[in-house]
Order: sequence, then structure tokens, then C-alpha cells
Amino acid sequence: MAFGNSNRIRPRSVRRSLSLAACAAFFTPVLLTQPPGPSSFDTPESREQGRSLFQTHCAYCHGARGEGGRGVDLTTGVYRHGGSDAELYATIRNGIPGTEMPTVRATNDEVWKMVSFVKSIGAGGVVESAPGDRVAGKAVYDGKGKCAACHSIGAEGGILGPNLAGVGRRRNLAYLRESLVTPEADVPVLYRAIQVMPKTGPPVRGIRLNEDDLSIQLRDSQNNLRSFFKEELKEIRRDKPSLMPAYGDVLNAQELENLVAYLSSLRETL
Amino acid sequence: MRRRVFCIFALAAAGVVVAQRLPVTYERLLHADQEPGNWLMYSGGYNSWRYSRLDQINTGNVKKLKAQWLFQGRSPEKFETTPLVVDGVMYLTRPENDVFALDAATGRVLWAYNYRNPVSTYNCCGKVNRGLAILGNRLYMNTLDMHLIALDAKSGRELWKTAIYDYTLDGGYAATGAPLAVKDKIIVGMAGGEHPGSGFLDAYDAVTGKRVWRFHTVPQPGEANFGTWAGDSWKTGGVATWNNGSYDPETNTVFWGTSNPWPDYNADARKGDNLYSCSVLALDLDTGKLKWFFQFTPQDTHDWDATQIPVLLSGEVRGQKRNLMAWPARNGFYYLLDRDTGKFILAKSFVRQTWAKGFDDNGKPQVIAGNEPTVEGIDTVFPGVDGGANWMSHSYSPLTRLLYVFARDERRVFTKNSVRHLNDGEVSELNTASRPGATLQPAPANTGIFGAGGNLPAGPNPNRANPRPARFAPEESWGKVVAIDPLSGETKWEHKVISPPWGGVMSTAGNLVFGGTTEGMIFALDARTGERLWHFSANERVYASPISFLANGKQYVSLAVGDVLMTFGLE
Ligand code: HEC
Ligand code: HEC
Repeated sequence: MAFGNSNRIRPRSVRRSLSLAACAAFFTPVLLTQPPGPSSFDTPESREQGRSLFQTHCAYCHGARGEGGRGVDLTTGVYRHGGSDAELYATIRNGIPGTEMPTVRATNDEVWKMVSFVKSIGAGGVVESAPGDRVAGKAVYDGKGKCAACHSIGAEGGILGPNLAGVGRRRNLAYLRESLVTPEADVPVLYRAIQVMPKTGPPVRGIRLNEDDLSIQLRDSQNNLRSFFKEELKEIRRDKPSLMPAYGDVLNAQELENLVAYLSSLRETL
Repeated sequence: MRRRVFCIFALAAAGVVVAQRLPVTYERLLHADQEPGNWLMYSGGYNSWRYSRLDQINTGNVKKLKAQWLFQGRSPEKFETTPLVVDGVMYLTRPENDVFALDAATGRVLWAYNYRNPVSTYNCCGKVNRGLAILGNRLYMNTLDMHLIALDAKSGRELWKTAIYDYTLDGGYAATGAPLAVKDKIIVGMAGGEHPGSGFLDAYDAVTGKRVWRFHTVPQPGEANFGTWAGDSWKTGGVATWNNGSYDPETNTVFWGTSNPWPDYNADARKGDNLYSCSVLALDLDTGKLKWFFQFTPQDTHDWDATQIPVLLSGEVRGQKRNLMAWPARNGFYYLLDRDTGKFILAKSFVRQTWAKGFDDNGKPQVIAGNEPTVEGIDTVFPGVDGGANWMSHSYSPLTRLLYVFARDERRVFTKNSVRHLNDGEVSELNTASRPGATLQPAPANTGIFGAGGNLPAGPNPNRANPRPARFAPEESWGKVVAIDPLSGETKWEHKVISPPWGGVMSTAGNLVFGGTTEGMIFALDARTGERLWHFSANERVYASPISFLANGKQYVSLAVGDVLMTFGLE
């Protein structure tokens, strides 16, 4: 991304470690579905070697644990440039033309090892079986939950929240559950909610898109792109970082479980 | 004067509007001139005047123009984009095919969209892109690997992606121009006239991305005007449509220019007029049916594309009010055509030229012998390989009633090669970026090379006797902004610059003409006299045309220079 988020790094909630554990536990079945070339590097040893290669080549931009900084956060499991083995390999091998992301001086094997490390921190590839009923969950999504007002799956739906295509691949069940009940627990960088209080006129709440010392940009709750000069603002409030409503009181336990099952079934990045 | 009062009023109103007013309906595009604070399509409006009705910046205060913000493109490619501006949000492309939404007052990024082309794409002249179209809530972009992409303007999310054509065929195709959004269609041109392909112009449904029609720029068997190519040469005739076009709502006609025939510098195997190469096409928007065409350069051997942008205006010719098309062509002549019929009215050279004595009543040139490319290379031909005009935008000001052309007054070396096909795995000279140090990518098997000659760096040309660089000294080749009276073709004034340009011009209601030189001097000229009133030394190449817009009620001028988009405003 071209806009900065350097002052953002916050301690993650417990579920990050849960998700890593889940990741390790469930990695093996996933391997079977990977193409033969790369899969031979999806071993614990390769991942460890990948981790130290990552420290040498990548950490100064992406952070020691891939948490981001000058480079993007690699722990979200969301890949703008594609999350398949082949796509990650191409990204790391060739860099991303026109961005700061460089090509790497490493052998092809070493690149594959870094691919396997990057995947392991991206919470990708987790296969868990959700107890709920995903068809009933879809009905909650489309009906009572009104989720499509803010979320898209692919090209259809709202844009205030992240696109949920592939969310079941990049997030584990615990994460999904928590997203519905305590959305504030972990807000992706690109979806930080703020409220700006102009010196004259009503406050505007939205998702922060960009910011420097002079101005701040956001997408407001009507999805309009807005920009404010800071000298025209009384205050910028950041105390409610998520625009996502908490659904613990709105939906009953069964509905929540069904919804989680539905979300978990969304595995394709469209 | 009435107009100017309206303008100031519009500015005040625009200052109050903070949030963006999407969608950009077809009605808004039709009346783009009623929204001088916005820049809604590549050439500003369907008549392609590239004229801004804003006059906050004018001949009286332009000296106080200062750089306000930059957008750092961080791409080594030529930066040819024309941004769009909609109610305080700027949308622009950055090579290869990335799209950014910026706050137009500060240049801060609102969202970014990255498109990944395959490593090998087939481009004669760099991995460039010239910009976007907008319609409704959607932005449209053509890609180097021949896709049309629709993005949601609010979020930058990709909505759909349509394959235009297989970019690897026939030596390679690409799509580098900005699309043109008209009514419910997106008109899309293609590049690839330097390869033995076959050109077309397409229209896509703006909502679904489905193709509505395709017009073949080389007539196919059974179609009208088939048979203007000797033998089978029509099959590999090229004739691309790589720039942008114009639209006349009164007659529902799209006007679009076409490129050279292939092979570029060698017509031995393609005797005939080679229709519709180096022509302007008038097509029905709904059906893509040809209404008329006019060919500027029959059987071209100098790569004198007619991919300039059609400038549409009206005026009195021999006592009669007519709908006109003004066309400063790459072959060095300014043409005036009747836009309803395609009839030739007049042609006058606006740069030095050596190849035509005059024109018959139909506008067919009377060609002077001895200007053909040769195996050894001929360096006495004007204009040069890049023409007197090229793809850079011209501008028409309704205030001065002058047409402004940033012209290339130069000669170069024209060489002729035998046409040759590449062997499997062999490297084509011109399928990658033109920047120094770019790695050459293997071309697909059995494809031809650029143009069989021309003005190329040393390449696989066994006949080349004269490998010297083809650029001439400033005392014999230069650039100039020419102000042409479009009705008579007379030059009113010229403003000379040291090198032939690659940037276009924009005129404004402040009586200014903006542009930038190859050396990166950005300038504002007095539209009435050509006097330079302001400049800024950006010191990098300009390969783009300027725009003007309002943000928070204040007028700005933007132009891509080097890999940076520069934006100027009054202090
Ligand atoms: C100089 C800083 C820098 C270095 C070093 C760097 N990156 Fe990046 N990386 C970036 C930036 C910036 C981006 C985001 C590019 C964009 O899309 O705009 C990125 C993007 C990525 C992506 C794509 C993320 C996505 O959303 O698709 C991956 C994967 C990645 N980097 C992995 C690596 C790995 C592995 C290394 C080490 C071999 C590395 N990077 C080294 C800056 C860096
Ligand atoms: C008012 C807008 C809004 C509504 C309605 C909404 N969300 Fe969200 N949602 C967001 C935003 C903003 C985020 C990102 C911030 C965060 O993670 O808290 C988000 C995040 C999420 C995430 C985490 C995604 C990720 O990749 O980490 C999930 C899962 C999710 N929402 C599911 C739902 C479901 C299911 C519903 C309907 C029951 C719903 N949301 C309704 C705005 C909304």
C-alpha cells in the first residue's frame, strides 16, 4: 500500500497465538492440496530456515515477525498479490514492480522456504470443521445480520468492512467468532475507524485511509472519500477502532455458530 | 464575458461541496464543460478540446504559480497518464497498470489498486498507460495484457475484468490508451501496429463488461474496402487504435484515429492504399458501423500514425456553418474535415515537410518522389519518424478560437529492412520497455519485428550501413507550440522550444496554454501571443498532457513529469 501505517503496531490479542497453534496442528492436511514443487518445502525444517532467511532479507521492512512497518503486515493472511504458493513465490522472487517491495538475492529453494514461512505467519491454510450449519449461517448473513451492508464477498456488497472472500482460509474459527462478538479485538490496519471533529460542522466517522501532519483522509459511513486539513479540526478520536457492530447481543449462540460456519466456508479469494 | 461570470459562480459553489458526488452519469459526461472544477475524461470533454473553463489562474497572476504537491509514481516507465478529477478526488494510473485515488488538494493517497501484468508483455514503446475513464461509480482501465478492468471508484475494488484479446498472438498486442466512456459503453482501442497483427476498435457494455461490437480496422473479406492491400498482406496489416477518441452526441458518432500499416517502413508487399491505416474512422456508437473514413496517409511507409485525438468544433467555411474536425496529423499537415461527411476541406503544413506537393479535392496527397525509406537510411525527410504531431493532446480554446499544437519540427533517419520473422526463443528488440538497461524478453515464436526498419537503435538489421544516432542538433530540429486558426489553417503564432516534445498542451479560460518540454520545463504561455509568462524547471522528461481542476474551490494544474505527477496552484 502506498499509505503509511507505521504508528499502528499494537499488541495482538491472544487469538494470534491460538491461530498459530491451530495453524501448526492443521498444516499437514493442507499440504496434500498444494502443487508438488513447493510442497516439498512445507516442512517444519524449511519453515525454520525460512524464518532465518526472512530475518536477513525481509524483516527490516516487514518486521521480525512479519507484523509490518515499512512493508505490509504479512500476518493478516490477506494478500493483495495473491496467496497461493505460486503467487507468493512470484511476489517474493520478483518483487512487486513499482513498489518498494524488491526482488530478493536468494536461490529458488531459499525463496520457497521463505514462502513456507510467510504462509505459516499468515494463518493461511487452516482447515477446521465448524460445528454450525453454514446454509443457516448464510441466511443470517443475508437477513438478520445485514452483513452485506458493509461487507462484500467478491464484487457484491458494501465496502466499509473488509472483503470477506477467502476469510475462511485466512482466519481460523476462534478468530471469526471473536470478530463477531468483540470486533475491536483486532482491527486490520486498513479498517481503523476514526472520528474527526471539525471546528465547524458535524463530526464525521469513517475508516482512516491516510494521514500525515497536515491532513487526514477517510471513507465516511456513506462510503464517500473525504479529506480534512488538521488545522480545521478540533479533534480526531481513535478510541473506537472498529466500525463493526458487536453481534453478541443481536444474534443468539446458535445463529453465531452458523454464521461462523458460513464464514469459514468462504475459502476462495475472488 | 458572460461565460466568465458563470465560472466564478461555479467555483464558489464547488468550494462548499466537500464530499464527492458520485455517480458520474452519462449526463454529466455529456455536459462536462458545466463542471469546470472536474476533469471527467481523458480530453476533458467529448469534443476533445482539452480546455479548462477555470480562470482563477490567468495571465495576470500566473507568475505566482507554485508547486503545491507531488505524487511520487516510483516507476521507471514513461508516465503518460492524464488524471481524472471528480469533486475533489483525483484518479490516476501509474505504469504499468496501477490505479490510485488521491485527495486532489493534498495528493494524499486514498486507495491504491495494483494490477500485475505477466512479466513479458509486448509493447513497442514502453510499458505505459495513458489513463482512465469513469462512468457511474466505475473506473475503467486498459491493461498491457489486453484486459479491460472495472474498479469501484469509492474503494478501488476490482469489479470485473474482461479479456480484450490474446496479447501473445501475432507478435503481441497491448492496450495502453485510456478508454472512452459514452452512454452505456466503454470504447477501447489496442496497440500492436508494430507487429503483424490485425487491428480493431471495441465497445464493451459498461455494466457487464461484455463486448457489444468490434470494428476491424483492416477490412475483412466481404467487407467494404477489402482489396486495398496486395495479396495476403491485409492479414498482417496492423492498424492499431492505441490512443483516445471523441464523440458527437448530435449524430451519435465516435471518431477514432488509426495507426500505421505493418510492416511500418516497407510497403513492397502491401501495395495499395492499405485502408483503414493512418485514417480517422467515424463509427455509429450503438452498432460500430462505419459512417465514413478519411485517410491522411495512403500506403504509409514512415510510421505516420493518425492516432492523434480528433478535435471537434463548428465554424463557418466559405460562408456556410459546418460541423468540423480539426486534425494536426503526424504527417506534418493540419487538416480540416467536415465531421458529418468526412469531406476534406483543407490541409496546410504546420512543420517543415518534404513529401507532399499538395492535395487533390478529396484530400489525397500528391506525393513527391525520393522520400521513401532506404536500406542505407535517408535523412532528408521531414517530418521525422515520430511525425509533426503524435499522440500528445492538442487543445482548442473557444476564447481565442485557436487550436494549440505542440509540434515536432524535425528530421530523422528512415531505414528500410527486409521483413523478417523471429525464430522460436529469439529476442525481439521492441517488446519491452524502451528505457535503457531494460531486459529484453523473448517474443513468442514466429513473430515479426518492429516495422522493418525505421529509426531504431542497432538491431538485427544486416543491411544497416549507417548506425549513427538519428537525432539532429537543436539548430535543425526543434519543438514548438503552434497556434493555428482552425478554419483557415493559418499559423497565428509559434513558440519554439529546444527539442521535439512528447507532451501535450491544455488551454484555459485564464488565456493560458500549459505544457511541458522534453527537458522538463513546465510552462504557461499567453494563449493570444505565445509569450511565455511562467515556467518551472522540473528537469525530467514530460510524456503527458496537463489538466486543471478545483479542490476546495481552488484551481490547480497537474502534469506528469518524470515519474512524478506535479500539481501547481497559486500561493
Ligand atoms: C524495502 C522494503 C521491503 C523489503 C526488503 C521486502 N518487502 Fe515485501 N513488501 C514491501 C512493500 C512496500 C510491500 C507492499 C507492496 C504493494 O503492494 O504496494 C510488500 C509486499 C510483500 C508481499 C505481498 C503482500 C500482499 O499483500 O500480497 C509479500 C508476500 C512480501 N512483501 C514478502 C516479502 C518477503 C518474503 C521479503 C524478503 C524476501 C520482503 N517482502 C522484503 C516492502 C518490502
Ligand atoms: C457497519 C458496518 C459493518 C457491519 C454491518 C458488519 N461489519 Fe463486519 N466488519 C466491519 C468493519 C469496519 C470491519 C473491520 C474492523 C474490525 O475487524 O473490527 C469488520 C470486520 C469483520 C470481520 C473480520 C474480517 C477479517 O478479515 O479480519 C468479519 C469476519 C466480519 N466483519 C463479519 C461480519 C458479519 C458476519 C457481519 C454480519 C453479521 C458483519 N461483519 C457486519 C464492518 C461491519
